[in-house]
Amino acid sequence: MQLYVTIDQRLVRDSLLYQLLLHDDIDLVGESETGIDTLNRLPLARPGVLIIEESLRDNDGLTIAENALSLSPSLSILLICDTPVNAGRLAIYLESGIKAVVSKQQPIQDLIKTLYYIRNGQVYVNSLQPLDTGISTLVDAYNALSGREREVAQLMASRMPIKEIAEQLNVSCKTVHSYKDRIFVKLGFERLPELILFMKRHHHGAAA
Amino acid sequence: MAKTNKPRIIVRYDYAPALEQFETVFGPDFNIEAFDTDQGAISALDRKFPPPAALLVLPEQPTLQCHSQPLMKARDCHPKVMKVLMGDTIPLDLLVSLLEQRLIDRCFNQLANPDLIRSQILAAALKVQAPTSESLRPANAHDTPTPTVLIVDDETAATKYLAKQLTQLQDDFRIICADSADQALELIRTQSDDFAVVMTDQRMPGMQGKELLDTLKQSYPTIVRILTSAYGEVDVALGAVNDGGIFRYQKKPWRAMDLLPLFQEAIVLHQSLASSRLNTRSQTEREFAQLCRQRQIKLDQILSEPVQACAGAPIMTEFLAALTSIESLPANTSHIRASCETGLENELLQHFGTLIRQQLACLQTESAIPVGYPDKDTILAALCAASEQTGMVSNKTSSITLMCRALTTLLNASGQSWRDLAISEAEHDGRVTVATPTALRFYTHLLAPLTRISRPLLEQQSALLILFISVHRLGGNLQVIGGHQSCRLVLSFAPGLMLDASC
Repeated sequence: MQLYVTIDQRLVRDSLLYQLLLHDDIDLVGESETGIDTLNRLPLARPGVLIIEESLRDNDGLTIAENALSLSPSLSILLICDTPVNAGRLAIYLESGIKAVVSKQQPIQDLIKTLYYIRNGQVYVNSLQPLDTGISTLVDAYNALSGREREVAQLMASRMPIKEIAEQLNVSCKTVHSYKDRIFVKLGFERLPELILFMKRHHHGAAA
Repeated sequence: MAKTNKPRIIVRYDYAPALEQFETVFGPDFNIEAFDTDQGAISALDRKFPPPAALLVLPEQPTLQCHSQPLMKARDCHPKVMKVLMGDTIPLDLLVSLLEQRLIDRCFNQLANPDLIRSQILAAALKVQAPTSESLRPANAHDTPTPTVLIVDDETAATKYLAKQLTQLQDDFRIICADSADQALELIRTQSDDFAVVMTDQRMPGMQGKELLDTLKQSYPTIVRILTSAYGEVDVALGAVNDGGIFRYQKKPWRAMDLLPLFQEAIVLHQSLASSRLNTRSQTEREFAQLCRQRQIKLDQILSEPVQACAGAPIMTEFLAALTSIESLPANTSHIRASCETGLENELLQHFGTLIRQQLACLQTESAIPVGYPDKDTILAALCAASEQTGMVSNKTSSITLMCRALTTLLNASGQSWRDLAISEAEHDGRVTVATPTALRFYTHLLAPLTRISRPLLEQQSALLILFISVHRLGGNLQVIGGHQSCRLVLSFAPGLMLDASC
């Protein structure tokens, strides 16, 4: 996926890119802080997907998106907005050719999921309902883990190496790995930081 | 959002557990009306309020006959309702026949990703709410060139033979062949032919058929797309239907006698797509022209008086004329909706009016400050100062400061700085000219189509008006040379043109 990212704030852009570049099928072909710069560099970068913020310093992200589409109609655009948009506005955005809208209130997993859905020119609408950040279902999923799985999750969240977890629980490393795989599948995580963050936020990590 | 705002969908089911499973997954997103009889589903379709977004059929055993009644009803009477079939296993032949009869728009395996199904139905629901122009007249068929059908396959012998056969059979359309997706795209891009239909093989070296059709869907939405393959890959076919919205899936081997009516039908569809697009475009243009006139009148109403009081001349007229000279992208339906369905028009007037009045209020106290005809050095100094100051405009701002701030704002909005300006002083009469060497970007403006009002837009627009006012107060002249989404500015100050500083 040839990706171009236009986000004003460096910290936000970097954090997002660190996440996205962990996926080895994502290829960053360009990034900008401003709308003008984006439109200037788009023809050479030839991205398939453009992630662009709604509020840019020099221009409106939507206006830039419309212009980008007039330059290359097959570009898939994901718009990041500051607050969730209502159904009426979403309809207008989709009609103007934007493929998906993600708000800054949504978790990063939503953005990544959306990115994969729109990459071949598909429209993706997550929900028209007020966004449920998925936390309650995640807690449910966590509570549905077996006692041993929860124990392993807690140890992993405390950054204990697999080998030490195996020693502490008196099982083989292979067994711990299979626990780990099951935990990740059941919670829908792909990487350790996601698990650590979830455990920190929900106070399960404290009790080792 | 209230529960009633969930899109309404009609489900025709056979088997209660299947419905139960469906409701568990989609209950939070949709208002589901479920029926176990065709009649129930049909009468639900006829109840138009709120308009249903989709009709889903969940047959126990998908066949061509099952639940065709409600699907036919939807096809014939409710074209905006999306028709969806969900089944355990969907044979390719069934899919092909359903497409042929236009009975379905989407088709999902039971195991398909619920996120995608939800997204497709929600997107359809958003479209259902969109107002459509009822006054669709077929465009006059005046001198329409012979439509062209493009056949894409890497087996050139087969395409050539087919093309020859089809050419002998009829005179209604021309046939062009391409041996790869890249060549097809190149032909479509470069040839002025009116490509009506593209039929492509799925399996080719390089870009695959489905990918080609997906690209075409984005860039050339009026070209009717047909996928063809010798391999019965039902997943590819489902993907092409659900993501690519293909018109047909044609199995190989090709027979000219089958393809002839297929292409004829596709060309009719292309012509109706093209003419409805044309109609929509001209209607959109008319609607926007009207919106734009209203905007212009209202802007003039709320601002011409305070502006004239400050500048001592009907500057508002000049400003609006300058904007009109800047060409923008054409309006489309999303702009019209934004203007009509949201508070955009009012917000625009209100915010812009406030911003201008604020800045003019700073000028009004100026009479104490001597206004002099600015020379080159004064302008340079003021520009330099303006570029360093970014805070709010304070009271007691001189015209030259305001002018330079406005210029700085406009330059910044185009990624330029005051150092890029060409500033010259004529030796014989002391005339100072300030010009933008490259055009300033105006992707959109106050009289152009808008979908959203943003701070940068308001700042850029108000800077242009303030520039008009301040240049005028300084006895100068501002020329705006409009271009495509851009303009060039030329400011000139001649000693003879001094305005009396009494205002």
